[in-house]
Amino acid sequence: MKAFPSLDPIDGQDSPMTFPPVPSAAPYGGRRAAAATIRLPPPCSHLASYHSTDGSRSLRSLHRCLSVRPLGRAEVRRDPGEVPHCAACPSANGPRLYACLACAAVHCPAHAVAHADAGHEIAVDVDRAELFCCACGDQIYDLDFDAAVVLAQAAAAPLPERPRPPEAEEGFRKRRRMESRPWNPDPVERTVIWRGSSPLYVQDENFSHTADPRLPLGLRGLNNLGNTCFLNSVLQALLHIPLPRNFFLSDRHSRFICEHRSRRKKDINAGEQQTATLCLSCDLDAMYSALFSGDRKPYSPAKFLYSWWQHASHFASYEQQDAHDFFITMLDGIHEKEHQQFEPHNESNIIGTGDCCIVHKVFSGTLRSDVTCTICGYTSTTYDPCVDISLDLNHNNDYKKCARTSSHICNGESDGTSTLLGCLDRFTRSERLGSDQKLFCQNCQVKQESLKQMSIRNLPLVACFHIKRFEHSPQRNMSKKIDRYVQFPFYLDMVPFLSSSILRSRFGNRICGIDDRDSDVDMELASEFEIFAVITHSGNLDSGHYTTYLRQNNQWYKCDDSWITRVSENTVRASQAYMLFYVQKVLHCNASEIVAAS
Amino acid sequence: MSVSDDGGSSPLSQLSSHVFGDLLDSIIVDVASECHRIARLGLDRNLEEEEEELRLSAQARVADPSSSGHGNGKNLVDIFGQTHPAIASEIFDCMNCGRPIVAGRFAPHLEKCMGKGRKARPKTTRSTTMARSRNSRGSPISVYAPYSSSGGASRVANVTRGADFELKDYAFEEP
Repeated sequence: MKAFPSLDPIDGQDSPMTFPPVPSAAPYGGRRAAAATIRLPPPCSHLASYHSTDGSRSLRSLHRCLSVRPLGRAEVRRDPGEVPHCAACPSANGPRLYACLACAAVHCPAHAVAHADAGHEIAVDVDRAELFCCACGDQIYDLDFDAAVVLAQAAAAPLPERPRPPEAEEGFRKRRRMESRPWNPDPVERTVIWRGSSPLYVQDENFSHTADPRLPLGLRGLNNLGNTCFLNSVLQALLHIPLPRNFFLSDRHSRFICEHRSRRKKDINAGEQQTATLCLSCDLDAMYSALFSGDRKPYSPAKFLYSWWQHASHFASYEQQDAHDFFITMLDGIHEKEHQQFEPHNESNIIGTGDCCIVHKVFSGTLRSDVTCTICGYTSTTYDPCVDISLDLNHNNDYKKCARTSSHICNGESDGTSTLLGCLDRFTRSERLGSDQKLFCQNCQVKQESLKQMSIRNLPLVACFHIKRFEHSPQRNMSKKIDRYVQFPFYLDMVPFLSSSILRSRFGNRICGIDDRDSDVDMELASEFEIFAVITHSGNLDSGHYTTYLRQNNQWYKCDDSWITRVSENTVRASQAYMLFYVQKVLHCNASEIVAAS
Repeated sequence: MSVSDDGGSSPLSQLSSHVFGDLLDSIIVDVASECHRIARLGLDRNLEEEEEELRLSAQARVADPSSSGHGNGKNLVDIFGQTHPAIASEIFDCMNCGRPIVAGRFAPHLEKCMGKGRKARPKTTRSTTMARSRNSRGSPISVYAPYSSSGGASRVANVTRGADFELKDYAFEEP
């Protein structure tokens, strides 16, 4: 093996990849790395002394000695046909070979340790481009070396088209993180508030149930109008989310104003009698007024059902519907009415970005999809808005991936419990598209086998996860439900599934960032979520029942149509989740404080 | 390279085992190296929290075996001290036809009332058709025929079911 040409100038491109790529399910790397920021451990004494003798410069210049495979894996450059072997025991190749940084001699681990005299302690793994301290006998990490690797990777990668991530689009405001400050009104503001608002509770002997101050405001059962538990369960989950609740309670969509506007339209389009009263937001506004009126008798969302059936007419039948389908059409119905209030020419810029209506402000996130050519590594990236994430339940189970193989918890789960994290892992895993699904590569100018990987570019304020329990098989013309328990955490850190983390791990989790617009750490600050509501489905496909578990003021309530009861945390953890709602922690901690009745 | 069946002692078998062993070792070291980096750079800081969540869930399932969702224990009262009948008994006016309807039967009523389509029929035709079908129970399908054009086989199935409920309602049957 050539000595490291650390002082030679760069001459031309790295030689093209000589060996066929190793087929693998994931490109280089892919272990799930959870935390946002890297914590570099202090260097061992040998690395420190290497640095002190101008080691930084030579480490950084090592990029010339590295070659990078199409999918990003870095290794020490070698001549075509050259097979590295240990200088002391040439017959054995071994899985690990180390090249000394000082003299470029290659040894197997055993002989590398023997070679480690003064100045020769640091070596590099020839196949993996990882530093190794032969004196300490352990793999070590160094910023300068990683910088060299990243530089080599950047040089080798075919220039991708640069898609404009959503922020570059006009009208998309980057969500800034602001510190929450308490606000207390001064006397003038207090008067304004008093004059401009109406009390939530009517002090009436009929409403004696409201005497208990511990019961959350706005909590009321919803009457089942005939197989409408799918509707009730979704409403209970949505109505109590702080953002929409505050939106409607502060009159941001008043049914009195909206109806006037529609009525005026009605005069213009004579004969459109029904659509004048079709506004799901107005019905929600009415619902909020009813919920917070102080009356604790169950509420009948009849008008809402009526409006929804007009909006989504293919669902207008007296049979059990799927709660998730309803959720999507409901959001769509609210969005449709809300964003009509904006000027038409603004529509194309802001739809789906979160500025168009309350539902997108709450639920809208952005997914990033990367398609990589397995031959040349060219990656094409697209961004798509989403309001929720639907997760498949594998036929095999989604084991939670453990970095620590000795963890007994992981081994204890050998019965194979599916977990939400496991499903998300699979969702963001690099997937090799079949040879029958070759995609056109801009670089190669032919159709090639590709890898596809999803990641989350922008997190929503409320993350909704939908577990796909209902399987429809068109071949056998039959549907069935998957009853398997799916474990879900109460606290969820979404960092491992962000585009920044996925990208970083795709290129080997190097210390310094790779050059990509999605590598900003900013995104990772608002990645912590708390469970807010769980919609469960019990029974089978034809005759099932939806209920919602709702978390208010650190207490769990079960919303079973008209019945609101208290349940323990254990009941919720053990339930069969169908839809999960997580709220960003920064929002939730303020919202869940008990409002003192004054 | 064909598989020889000499019991694995020939040079070819040994060589292929050796190559396989090398490949396997190489893959194992790949994984070990990646995991080592993740652990050493502190990228798996959340591991304890994740394991704790798993533990709590496992604990919860043991403690609460009834939460499979079946057979919810019949509650005596809700948190407000109220009880509720199996079929919601509140009565309100249908916003389509104006008639007072029991809440628990509102959806099936509305389905027929709206004609299961986007366009609501004018009231006069509605009541005429209702009167007609009430008298001729043998052919409720004819009421819905114009509206089944937008669906496929599933639509027809719905129609049948709808007709059943319509018959039930008019028979004043109490479940």
